[in-house]
Amino acid sequence: MSYLSTVDFTEDRAFVDRFQRTMRGDLELSWMDAPRERVACRPQNERRGLTFRDLDVGSYGFTDMPELIRENRSFAPRGAAMPEGLPDLQAEVNRKSEVWAYNIEGYYEEAMTRQWNATTDIPWGELQSVDLPEDIGKAYAQLLTFLTEVEMIATDVPAKWMGRLNADFFEVKNFIATQAMDEARHAEIFRKRALSTGWGLMRASAQNEFNLKFLRDADSFAEASLALHLQAEGMVLTLFRFSEYISPTEGDKKLFRLVMQDEARHVGYGMQHLKWVLDHFPERREAIHHHLDEAENFVFGGGYATEVLEPFIILSGKGLKKENIAEGVRITNAFQLKQADEYFERLAKCGLPERRERSRLWKMIELRKQSMAA
Amino acid sequence: MAYYAEKNFFEDEQLIELVTSILSGNLTMEWYAAQGAPLRARPADPRRGLTYEDCNLGPYGYDAIPEFIRNRYSMAARGSVLVTKLPDLGYTVNRRSDVWSDNVVALYEEAKARRWAPAVDLPWGELTGDDSVREKAMAQLCTLLEEVALVAMEMPSKWVFSINQEFLELKSFLCAQMIDEARHVEACRKRALASGQGLGRASAAAEQALKELLSAETYPEASLGMNLLLGSFVLAMYRALAALARTRADRLLGTLAMQDVARSVTYGVGHMRYHLAQQPAKVVALGEYLDRTEHVVLGIAGCPEFLEPLVLLAAGSLDAERVAAGSRFARHWFATALEEYFERAAAAGLGDRRRRSRLPRLDA
Repeated sequence: MSYLSTVDFTEDRAFVDRFQRTMRGDLELSWMDAPRERVACRPQNERRGLTFRDLDVGSYGFTDMPELIRENRSFAPRGAAMPEGLPDLQAEVNRKSEVWAYNIEGYYEEAMTRQWNATTDIPWGELQSVDLPEDIGKAYAQLLTFLTEVEMIATDVPAKWMGRLNADFFEVKNFIATQAMDEARHAEIFRKRALSTGWGLMRASAQNEFNLKFLRDADSFAEASLALHLQAEGMVLTLFRFSEYISPTEGDKKLFRLVMQDEARHVGYGMQHLKWVLDHFPERREAIHHHLDEAENFVFGGGYATEVLEPFIILSGKGLKKENIAEGVRITNAFQLKQADEYFERLAKCGLPERRERSRLWKMIELRKQSMAA
Repeated sequence: MAYYAEKNFFEDEQLIELVTSILSGNLTMEWYAAQGAPLRARPADPRRGLTYEDCNLGPYGYDAIPEFIRNRYSMAARGSVLVTKLPDLGYTVNRRSDVWSDNVVALYEEAKARRWAPAVDLPWGELTGDDSVREKAMAQLCTLLEEVALVAMEMPSKWVFSINQEFLELKSFLCAQMIDEARHVEACRKRALASGQGLGRASAAAEQALKELLSAETYPEASLGMNLLLGSFVLAMYRALAALARTRADRLLGTLAMQDVARSVTYGVGHMRYHLAQQPAKVVALGEYLDRTEHVVLGIAGCPEFLEPLVLLAAGSLDAERVAAGSRFARHWFATALEEYFERAAAAGLGDRRRRSRLPRLDA
């Protein structure tokens, strides 16, 4: 049985009487007397409008929010007067450092102003006039199939956690909502582009789906965010950048530039969240390393996903001839090393420089660099 | 951690050999022949761009989704070539008519095209904030609307994780609902804090009611309760806010939010219509759900934290005659919202609820 309100309002005589009195103009206005902090928030910069940062005032703001939310377990907006009888919404995450990120309010505002439309912001007409040769067309359709497959994990996972976060963290919840929309748009644009190539969708990727399941099943929001925002999306961000570089048309380059903008925001949140965790909840450091150990195992296992690696080589080398493949391998090697370097660099910037020493992935990358140099 | 890889890949010689071989130029090309239907999506109307409707082709299209999804529990893109060993991602909503609506694709496209950003699309500079009755009422009304929007944002987020990925367009619409409601949380909070009054009082009655709606046991019940029932009243709330606005900022807040909520209501009606067309026996269970749940709109729209500021916004002052006029507005507002809800319920196939519902007996 689901939750039932403590009162059936249509059967509660006192509530109905009050309702009917109000409808006759007999007002009590007790809410006017509720103690409150009177503020008049104004835009600090008219061109940017009224931002969440402008609302960071006293009990309404995020700066003074305590590390542990002990009082509000309802949907009462942060800073509002809380009467008796508010329900307990059973939030599971009530510790600020489990979810917070430096500049979270900025990431949210940016997301709201930089929404775009996959239906109209891509020159679909121009793309229609380009017929890709079979090798490039199929390789591109396969890469797009992979991207279509993985994008919405970054909708489902944060969405799963949204309802478990205390309502006082509404800036984080709002950010999650923007991310859900961003990722829906990414799944949409990659699907549409795959279907507009004329080659249709290609093969699903079992190896990558195991990684998606790992992301879905994280035990805590902090672990989910670490593996999703920082690691997975960080690596996808590098993939997008290289995909822009190897894109077959100008329209495709624009496509990747647009998704990169969104992805960079998600990675930004992941980094600033990890930084916040390490600054405010240092006991988690060891747990973070343990989670990354397994997350990196999945990344390394991604080598089995030939349906991702091989199209990338073909697209990079621009064909299937021997010299094309050689060039493709050269670019793909550079891409993979860059992807790993950027990942470890991000971790170091967040306050986890020792990760390189502990990581088996880093050791494998070092071995590869040595073998390439030899 | 709840899920581990099937092996330690760092010690997997077979994997290292495979990758080394590929990076030596020996591609397997196993995927190359695994092509789905070679169809090409084209914009039907270039001015509108490439819509999901244009991509409704053969096995890729949403028309091809069966009523029961029995063999697809991964995130593999609909229409792509499946391989063995795809994992089960744990979806629990796998029946098309439990979630689908014929209008959901168009509503998703509309949601993207009509996006707005409260920080910059409302002329905040026009609001001065003062100690007037109107500003006090506005701060309280927006506090209540922020509470409502927080819950309306959580409802789709709670379900999207459990809904099968085959219903991509529907899940995308739920994401659009999330960002719409995030926008309402933001806009209402900003408006309250621009008033000079600070936030008002949270409502115990409204929150009890909202928690009941949020904890619906099935998606059809959740959608009926949140999109059609509550949505009808929230749509009327924003309409009243726009109608009673004295500034361009307040009018825009009301009309832009209405536009968003109208999409949710439209989906709610379409979803129920589709659901009942495919599962007509559910009309009994959903009728009973409404019998026991309709009272929540009284807890939300009839609570003093909403109704009294509404009366005052319509009155404009605490003068007795003006308050009487304000209460007339509120009576008309409630009766109209209720009637619109009944009309939508009937249009969705839930019959004439006027006879069955306890709400008309309130004699507002």
